[in-house]
Amino acid sequence: MKSKIIKILEGFVTFVIILVIIHTLIEDLAIILNWNQEARTFLLFSSFFFDLFFTVEFLIRFSNALSKKKALKYIFFERGWIDFLAAVPLLIFSSGPPLLAYLMGGTILAGMGSIYNILKLVKAIRIARILRILKIFRNIKYADSKMAQRHVAKIITTSIAVIVFSIFGYSILQNNIESMNPNSEYEKSRENIITLLENRPTLSMEFINNLTEIENTIIQIKQNDEAVYRRYDRDYIINNFSENDFIHKVIVKLDMEILFDVREENASIELSQSWNNIFFFSLVMLIVIGYMIFYSAHFAMTVTDPINVMKRGIEEKSYNLEVKLPKHYKNDDIFQLAKAYNEIFLPLKDRNKEDDDIVDLKMDDLKDILG
Amino acid sequence: MLKVSENIINGDKMDIESQKAVQFINRLLSNPAVQNLYPLQKETQILQFLKVNIKQLLPTLSSSAFFPGKSWENIIKILYSALMDILNNELLSGLEKILNNIDYNFIAFLREQGLPVENPQKNILEFEKNLLTIAEARQAFAGPYTAVSLKITDQYIDEAFNRREYIYFELVKVQKLKMSKEEIKNLVKVSLLLKNIIHVIPFNQNRSGNVSNVVHISFAQKALEQVKEKIKILPETLLKSGINSNISFLENPEMETTSRLASIFAFRCQNYKSFQKLDRGADTPDKSWFNIARRNYKFYGFDIKILDELYKTAAENGW
Repeated sequence: MKSKIIKILEGFVTFVIILVIIHTLIEDLAIILNWNQEARTFLLFSSFFFDLFFTVEFLIRFSNALSKKKALKYIFFERGWIDFLAAVPLLIFSSGPPLLAYLMGGTILAGMGSIYNILKLVKAIRIARILRILKIFRNIKYADSKMAQRHVAKIITTSIAVIVFSIFGYSILQNNIESMNPNSEYEKSRENIITLLENRPTLSMEFINNLTEIENTIIQIKQNDEAVYRRYDRDYIINNFSENDFIHKVIVKLDMEILFDVREENASIELSQSWNNIFFFSLVMLIVIGYMIFYSAHFAMTVTDPINVMKRGIEEKSYNLEVKLPKHYKNDDIFQLAKAYNEIFLPLKDRNKEDDDIVDLKMDDLKDILG
Repeated sequence: MLKVSENIINGDKMDIESQKAVQFINRLLSNPAVQNLYPLQKETQILQFLKVNIKQLLPTLSSSAFFPGKSWENIIKILYSALMDILNNELLSGLEKILNNIDYNFIAFLREQGLPVENPQKNILEFEKNLLTIAEARQAFAGPYTAVSLKITDQYIDEAFNRREYIYFELVKVQKLKMSKEEIKNLVKVSLLLKNIIHVIPFNQNRSGNVSNVVHISFAQKALEQVKEKIKILPETLLKSGINSNISFLENPEMETTSRLASIFAFRCQNYKSFQKLDRGADTPDKSWFNIARRNYKFYGFDIKILDELYKTAAENGW
C-alpha cells in the first residue's frame, strides 16, 4: 500500500516536472507575444506555485535523507543539488518577490532597487528546471540500466550546469557593462535632452512644453525644488510606476532635476532577454534530448548491453548467447573483454555443463502445492 | 479370498498413487518455464528438477499428502511413469505426424537390390515406440525430435545448396548423394530420427557428466548389426547414417556427411528454446551456438568446416 502511494506521488511529481518545463517556456513567450495583464498575472502565480511545490518537495526529500543520515548522499549522489537549485533560489529570488510586489502593491520594491537587478540575473537559472527532466529519464528507452542512467545524467547535468552558470555569469557581466557604459539609444536621447537644456541660456514654459511634447519620456521637471512640469499626477505615478520605471537625472548648472520614463526601455530589454531565454532554453532542451536519445543509445550499445549479456552468461547456467562485437568498436576495452567472454568463457562453460544446468523450473514455482 | 481383497486394496492404492502422480506432473508441466518446450525437453527439465531438488521435495512427497512411506527411488519411478504416459501422447502423435510428412523416395537411391519399397514410417514408429521406453534413448531423442519439428535442417540445407560450398560438396560429391535437395533434406531428417537407435545396446558407463555422448566406432557397428535385424525394411546405408551420427568425425574422417549434420543439429536442438528472447547486445541464438561449437569441435567430434559454414549462414541470415 505504501509503495503504491509512493508510486502515485512520484507519478504526480513527474507530471508537474513536465508542466514546469512547459511553463518556463511560456513565461518568455508571454512577453514576446505581449499577452494581456491577466494572463501574465496567472503566470506570476503559477510560477510561484511551481517553485513553492518543488521547494517543499526538496525539503521533504532532504529531511527524509537527513533522518536516515543520508543527507550528503542525497545532495551529491542523488542529484539533490539539482532539486535545490531548481527550486529554492527561484522561489526566493525569482517568483517570490514579484508575487509579493503584486499582492502588496508595486511600491514594495521601493528601496529594493539593487535586489531587482538580482532578480533579473536569477531568472536566467530558471533553465536549471530542465535538469528535473532527468528524474523521468529511467523511463526512456536504452536507459533501463542504472549505470546508463547515472552516466548519461552526469553528462547532461555537467553540460547544463556549465551552460546555466555561464549564462548567469554572462548576465552579471552584461549588467555591469551596461551600467558602466550605457550606450543605448534611450540613454543617448536623454543625454541629448540634458545637453539641449544645459546650452539654453534661459528656459521658458513654451520651450519646456514643446520639448515635453516631443520627448514623451520626460515625466517631471523640477527647478529650484519646484516642479515646473508634470506629465502625470502623483496618484498616477504611484499606481503605474515602480522604482525601476524611471531614471532621475540632475543638471547641476541649472539646479534642475528631470525624471525620465524608462518603461518602454525596460520592456525592450525584457523582450530582448526573453528571446535570449527562449534561445538558451531551446538550446538546453536540444542538448538534453540529444543526450537522452542519441548518447544513451550509444552508451547502451557500447557499454551496458555487452555488460548485461556477459552478466547473464556468468549468472545463468543455461544462458549461452555471445556478445555482439560491433566492427567499429572492436578495440574498445569492453569489447576486448567481450571477445574473451565469447572465445574463452562460453566454450569452457559449454564443455563443463552439468545436467542440472538446464533446469529452468524453480522450487518457488511449487510453493502452493508443496507448502 | 484374502489374496483377492489384498489385490483389490493394492490396486486401489496404485490408482490413487497414479492419480496423485499425474496431478503433480501436470502441475509441473503447466509451469511457464516448460510449457512451450517440446515433449522430451519437458521431460528432461522435470527429471532434472526432481533430481536437483531431492532434499526439498522428499519430505513433502513422502508425506501422507502424496506417497506416504515410499523411498525416493520408488517415488521417482511412480512420477516418471506418469510423466512418460502423459508426454508419450504428445510425443508419439507428433512423431507419427513427422514420419507421415516425410517423402521416402530417397530410399530408392539408397536401397539394395531386393528390398521392398513400401513406406517405412510404420516400422520406424513401432521401433521408436519400443526404444522410447528406455530412459537414455528418450533423452537422446530430445534433440533430433526438436530439430525435425523445427525444420531447422531444411533452412540450413536450403542455404547450403544456395551457397554451394563445403556442405554441398560433401553431400553431393563426397557422399555421392545423387538426389534432389528435397530428398537430401528428408534423408537428413530420417538420419536424425534414427540417431537414438544406438541405444539398442545398453550404455554401460555412467552417462552423468559425459557431455559429448560420443561413442566408439566399434560400438556403433555392434549397434548397427543388431538394428539391421530389427528394421530390415530400411537400407543399411540409412541406418548407418543415423547410428554414425553418434561417433566422432575426428576419429572417423570417412563419417557420412548426413551423419555429421545430424550430429550437429541434434546437439543444437537438445536444449533449444524457440521462444528465447534476444537481449540487446547479444548475438542471435544459432550464431552464438555455432560459434561456441566451433571452439569445442574437438570435444564433440564435430566437423569444423561444416560448423564454419553453418556459422556463416546463421550470421548472414540473422538466425
